[in-house]
Amino acid sequence: MSKPKKKRKTLAQKNAIAGYLFILPFIIGFLAFLAYPLIESLQMSFCKVTVEVGGFNKEFIGLANFKKAFTVDPEFTRLLTESLSSMAYRVPATLIFSFFVALLLNQDFKGRGFVRAIFFLPVILSSGVIVGLEYNNTLLQGMEDVVQESGGNSSITATLQAILDTGGVGSKFFGYVFDILDSVYDVAIASGIQIIIFLSGLQTISSSMYEAAKIEGCTAWESFWKITFPMVSSLILVNIVYSIIDFLIRTDNEVMEKINDTMMPMMDYGFSSAMAWSYFVIVMAVVGVISLIVSKKVYYYE
Amino acid sequence: MKKLKRRKPNRSRGGDIGIYLLLIFFGIFMALPLVYAINSAFKPLDEIYLYPPKFFVQNPTMDNFQDLFVIMGKSWVPFSRYIFNTVFITFVGTAGHLLVASMGAYVLAKYDFPGGKTFFNLVVTALMFSGYVLGIPNYLVMTNLGWVDTYLAVVIPAFASPMGLFLMKQFMEGIPDALIEAAKIDGAKQWTIYSKIVMPMVKPAWLTLIIFSVQNLWNTKASNYIYSEELKTLPYALQQIINGGVSRAGVGSAVTLFMMIVPILTFVLSQSNILETMASSGIKD
Repeated sequence: MSKPKKKRKTLAQKNAIAGYLFILPFIIGFLAFLAYPLIESLQMSFCKVTVEVGGFNKEFIGLANFKKAFTVDPEFTRLLTESLSSMAYRVPATLIFSFFVALLLNQDFKGRGFVRAIFFLPVILSSGVIVGLEYNNTLLQGMEDVVQESGGNSSITATLQAILDTGGVGSKFFGYVFDILDSVYDVAIASGIQIIIFLSGLQTISSSMYEAAKIEGCTAWESFWKITFPMVSSLILVNIVYSIIDFLIRTDNEVMEKINDTMMPMMDYGFSSAMAWSYFVIVMAVVGVISLIVSKKVYYYE
Repeated sequence: MKKLKRRKPNRSRGGDIGIYLLLIFFGIFMALPLVYAINSAFKPLDEIYLYPPKFFVQNPTMDNFQDLFVIMGKSWVPFSRYIFNTVFITFVGTAGHLLVASMGAYVLAKYDFPGGKTFFNLVVTALMFSGYVLGIPNYLVMTNLGWVDTYLAVVIPAFASPMGLFLMKQFMEGIPDALIEAAKIDGAKQWTIYSKIVMPMVKPAWLTLIIFSVQNLWNTKASNYIYSEELKTLPYALQQIINGGVSRAGVGSAVTLFMMIVPILTFVLSQSNILETMASSGIKD
């Protein structure tokens, strides 16, 4: 991709200064509130951290925390592999689902705004209010149960399943089908943000492109693969990264729960930092490899 | 801006019906929790604890809301103060985040400068780290800056949240370089290019960013950093109300409904404002 080249040095310098000024606020914020705390927690992972009056006491113990996480702790490695393997099918499913829904929502039809609002609801419900207020809230617990029941197996699908089972049609096959239906619900609930990202991407595609394609005799199918898909391909990358991260570090992920439990009630900052960092490195490796592969295929409009 | 009519490939009636059916199917999935939350807000206490729980309310009542207002009225600090705090944090945090992230993203997306790529990779890397783990080091930072127990501790870190930068950069890469070059030739300064050309073109992106950011900040409890009662946020105050015990479950469901209003409104308003943008039109090759 060709960047605007600056011809004369003075102008180039001027531009560089403006560029740095533009990005400076973000860099400062990033260093202070992300980079520095990250380094601090990395340091903690190699230490035995004890709380004292007025601060923390760090005592260097090398790799002991990491050793504990992978060899001594009975749960950590198991939870880790479970998380990663469910991610492997969850993320593609979320992507396909959200892209598909975004395409549908981008069509012109009556009540589009309303339908879009409905599809955004899970984002509000899952990431904000519920997580934020769930402590000691029996109501929301009850709600989750009901949602699970009505969306998952007991009411709708279970009755269907019961009917089909008695019908004697290969019950094993339907067992799979209903497992899939169950996960469809989870996927649908988790894909609100991705739908919005795709949707706003779809809206930046100018309609004249489709017009031109149509005049040239493209079918809808062709213009989807030749226009829509390449134009949002950079957002596919965004969404892959977002979905992986969202799935792996959401508060109800088992590994995150484990890390948090170790940190808060047990006050074992060193051990929990070590777990967090090993988890982090693994997540980073996964995201890195995937985005390296995908970014090769991404098309940028010029 | 003139709204362009999207030209659609001729579609069959059957396809239309299919789309509607699918939307209805998934729409029901999505709406279920909200319907439940609304119903619960109107349930009397005995119905909330009914087992097995009923989905729809049997004897709707406004008691929960009345109780909520009574409790609000009795709070130590006037309740409007909590509301103000949260509105302030949400508004300033979102505005600042939008500005800081989009300015950074503009440079990263459209200019090569030393270290730019590396920095962006670092930001994306930081995305992967959960706020949990940073809790304690972040607290130390705030103490050193003397920001503990001020709005600053909540608002300023929100400015530099990596997700916004990532999102904006990805959208801005879609802007043709030729447009920016043309503006430069016509003598536009960096700020003009950014504010008059780039930003209007990525309007869907920053509306999306606003949705995210409002959503996050509106639900901030900030209980780690803020101790003074008069600086505490609305979700925190409401959580205290809910924690009042089993008998508060009804009020709790009213609170849930109350808290959802703003994010939903933001979403609806910004969605209806996302018009067709002129990206990649305006250019003739």
